[in-house]
Amino acid sequence: MAEGVDTPTAILASAAAALRENPFDDISYRALGDAVGVSERTVYRHFPTRSHLLEGVAGWIESTEFPLPPFVTIPQFQEASRARFLAFDASPAFAFVCARAASISPTGESEATFFTRALVAMLATNYPSVNERDLRRVAATLRYFASTQFWARMRTGFDLSAPEISDAFDRTVAQALSGLPTLTRTSR
Amino acid sequence: MNRSSSRAGVTMSVTSEHDDRSASDVSRTQEAILAAYAELIEELGTDDVSFRLIARRAGVGERTIFRNYATRVDLLLATAAWIERRIFPRQDSPSIFDMPLTIRAAMESYDHRPELAHVVAETTMRGISGATPSPRRAMLEEMIDAEISALGDAERRAIVAALAHLDSAATWVTFRREFGMTRSDIADAAAWAAEAVLDPIRSRVG
Repeated sequence: MAEGVDTPTAILASAAAALRENPFDDISYRALGDAVGVSERTVYRHFPTRSHLLEGVAGWIESTEFPLPPFVTIPQFQEASRARFLAFDASPAFAFVCARAASISPTGESEATFFTRALVAMLATNYPSVNERDLRRVAATLRYFASTQFWARMRTGFDLSAPEISDAFDRTVAQALSGLPTLTRTSR
Repeated sequence: MNRSSSRAGVTMSVTSEHDDRSASDVSRTQEAILAAYAELIEELGTDDVSFRLIARRAGVGERTIFRNYATRVDLLLATAAWIERRIFPRQDSPSIFDMPLTIRAAMESYDHRPELAHVVAETTMRGISGATPSPRRAMLEEMIDAEISALGDAERRAIVAALAHLDSAATWVTFRREFGMTRSDIADAAAWAAEAVLDPIRSRVG
């Protein structure tokens, strides 16, 4: 498995594979070391705490299992988000790990994810006349309702499936956008 | 979750059917343990706190902790529920249209205790084995039903879901982490989002 891959990536891939059988909290550093063929110490060197490991695994999962479809318009953003909700439903263990990682106290400098930056750029392009402050709260709302955390809360707290989650998402997006000017739609 | 203990001689009554970690079934001993762990999380983070340290801070034996919370995960989930209830309590709001204010206040209280807000947010994202992710769902449903009579199922569900999602620690985490917002920006943005969610039913009271 580790062929042609650096050690931290091999560890993350191995942790992700283990998630198919075990909850994240039951995955031991020793088992990861054994699986990759390095010492437990080496695993600790790359991931000093379980928070580091959680963030790493989530990053690996996001890029390999839940890649973000590109979007430059609002409908494309909604379509991309709906596709991800379906993907989360298909791999719930992975999606919960991503939701957890997005919620912990960040281990390093916290910075916006690619998803957030893409969303902010898309909104700025589609609504060039809207002030930055208003646009930012719209962006924050859209981002938060497109997140693994929304999926996780809807699945556990409301027993909703991906299509139902998408419906709640679409309604909230429509409300968040309702105050923005519609004129710029022609720019599509 | 262990709720057999009434060691402090307090009569336990389970009043809430949807949340087995509700305030009423925490004994005085458990309260001391949970408060001690919450304190230590703020001082040291979640990773480095040993049961021994918690026991010393709570003034109980280590075995007492294990008897109440068999595993570290059990203890963490019980502590997260305790934090949400005790450190971040919500005011009873008489109307669904007060939710933006409730959410604004909640965001401000999370911002005062960032470490604890992260613990609450993370433990609600663990699926069915985690802390309950929408503890106030039933309350929201009651409020909306009391005020808005003719509401389609899907619309009602979406509004309750959106408000439950916004009224949570994960909102504070995301707005801060992904958008670098300050305390007042987060409170404003979350309250604004709640207003937007409520807009379509504003004129449909009755």
